[in-house]
Amino acid sequence: MPGDWPHLRDIRKTSTFRLTLALGGAATVGVLLLLLIIYSLTERELNDRSDRILRTEIARLAALPEADLPGEIDKSSATSVSGLNHFGLLSPGGRWLAGDMGASPPLVIGHPYERDDGPDVRGPLRILAARTSGGALLMVGRDVRPIVDLRGRMVEILVLSGLFVAPLLLAAGFAVSLGPLRRVDRLQRVALEIGSGRLAARMPIEGRGDELDLFAGTVNRMIGEVERTVDQVKSVTDAIAHDLRTPLTRVRNQLYRASRDPDMAPADVVRIEAAMADLDLVLARFAALLRISELEASGRRQGFATSRIDRLLDAVVELYGPLAEERDVALRWDGAEPVRLYCDEKLIFEAFSNLVDNAIKFAPEGGCVSIRLAKDDGFVAIEVCDNGPGIPMDQLQAVLRRYDRGVASAAVPGSGLGLSVVAAIVHLHHFALELLPAEPGLRARIVAPVEAQQAR
Amino acid sequence: MASILVIEDDAETAREIADELRVHGHTVHAEADGQNGLERALREPFDAITLDRMLPGLDGLAVVARLRAAGIVTPVLMISALGDVDARIDGLRAGGDDYLIKPFAPDEMAMRVEVLLRRRRQLETAAAMLRGGPVEMDLIRREVRVDGDPVRLLHMEFRLLEFLMRNAGEIVTRQIIFERVWGYYFDPGANLINVHIARLRKKIDRPGHASLIATVKGEGYRFDAG
Repeated sequence: MPGDWPHLRDIRKTSTFRLTLALGGAATVGVLLLLLIIYSLTERELNDRSDRILRTEIARLAALPEADLPGEIDKSSATSVSGLNHFGLLSPGGRWLAGDMGASPPLVIGHPYERDDGPDVRGPLRILAARTSGGALLMVGRDVRPIVDLRGRMVEILVLSGLFVAPLLLAAGFAVSLGPLRRVDRLQRVALEIGSGRLAARMPIEGRGDELDLFAGTVNRMIGEVERTVDQVKSVTDAIAHDLRTPLTRVRNQLYRASRDPDMAPADVVRIEAAMADLDLVLARFAALLRISELEASGRRQGFATSRIDRLLDAVVELYGPLAEERDVALRWDGAEPVRLYCDEKLIFEAFSNLVDNAIKFAPEGGCVSIRLAKDDGFVAIEVCDNGPGIPMDQLQAVLRRYDRGVASAAVPGSGLGLSVVAAIVHLHHFALELLPAEPGLRARIVAPVEAQQAR
Repeated sequence: MASILVIEDDAETAREIADELRVHGHTVHAEADGQNGLERALREPFDAITLDRMLPGLDGLAVVARLRAAGIVTPVLMISALGDVDARIDGLRAGGDDYLIKPFAPDEMAMRVEVLLRRRRQLETAAAMLRGGPVEMDLIRREVRVDGDPVRLLHMEFRLLEFLMRNAGEIVTRQIIFERVWGYYFDPGANLINVHIARLRKKIDRPGHASLIATVKGEGYRFDAG
């Protein structure tokens, strides 16, 4: 039903869901890149500041007399206001002379670099080393833990926001996909309806002017055109049938009067009667053709009422029993419990009469035709089954079309319109007509949904 | 013979109807529009009326409805180009006794008029027994005897025989039989009615005698009382 909750797997496959995820993913990557840029700019700025401080300190210390350096370095180490600056002085041979930076020699001289002695020692340091005029190594370091902390904080932000954004993104994807999926579901149902032959059906248009509305509008125009073409073909056929009926009837009437002329030779009367019989056949076919059109076009529900279908089948069997007996065909109908169907009783009687008549025609001498009625899973299925030659699988649908009689029926009299009449009646009732192979023979089944039994 | 009013605006159809009814020995009076037809039917007594459904002035449904409202029970055969079931139902509901779709064979039209005329006569006499040659039908006790011997007929066989006997001596087509006996209006095919007639014959015909139900080739059946 249109209001059903769609399956998760259906939502996952929708383009809306995928698009939402793709857009969400792209937005996430964008945010990531933005954070990286902010981080790298911030890091560079902080490093530049550190480097300027280091160079200033190095320049200040390098300007002092060599002999004053140990004292000044110890003093600077002890009095660093921020606690972030560190100093060291190594002899030209690498021996520690003063400061709080230990005896590790610098890796690079003249350019700032970073060194991390591990969490237990002190934070990562940015170090600038220079040689004094006496060859001693002067080192100034600046604690860059705030920059490292900033990096960690950003990673933390990314992970936490990812954990929050990912389910949010999925939920948004589901929510955004649900509406279109339901609309697609409704469109699909109408498409199936149109596919089953109800060309009057139209795709629902929500009036939003979105792509689904555009698609539905295009399909509706296409179906309208198909319907118009089909109607034109039908009306041309019907017009031919209708227009020919009157002159043909007049011809028949003339022949009839001629046959009653007392001066007519008996041999001529026989010939006229044969011509009248042929004309009657043609007129009967035209009448059947027009009847199908009338049923297809009317949508009449005036004669609809709740009827006992089991009693109606009793009457069909009573009507066709003698015909079956004459053909030496066993007509089996065991009866059924009362089953009520909301239908036009006379039309449904006509439909079953056609099916039973067909089955008797095609059943072999000594064969059998059985009628079964079953209620199952919300449906009433009435089946007329024969053990005749049946209809090849590839022709099962074709025989429902006007004048299509199937290969096996060539030797059997009839207009070829019986099953088309049945199909038109069934269609009028919104029931289903199924033709199935019975191996051997044919099973013609009319299926009425349970809700069709309720008065509408 | 009967006096029949033909209300039909199409001159050719009116001529066809009148010619055929005259062939059957009836006196025919014609009117070409609904209002004049209604006034004449109210003014003069007729045995039957053939009435076109679509007429200038006053349409056929209104004519028959006003006739019935005025207490005129003359049998009416409605003739119309509208052939669908709803149109037929409307025609019969308005007060028509039978419905014939254009184009029609004049012999079938005449046959339907005959059936209406006989039914009217039978209603007037309200017979409880039907007799035709050796056959006696007790319509109250639903019993049939042939030469005094009881014959057991199924429900529909009884109705078929009753219809044939009520129209004894007249030809009735298979389609009329199907409509009047079974009450359905689709074409059941010739063979179905033939088979039912054959079964009835087996039950009522006497050995060594011609069948009581004669086949009229190309037309239908006729109950011959002998």
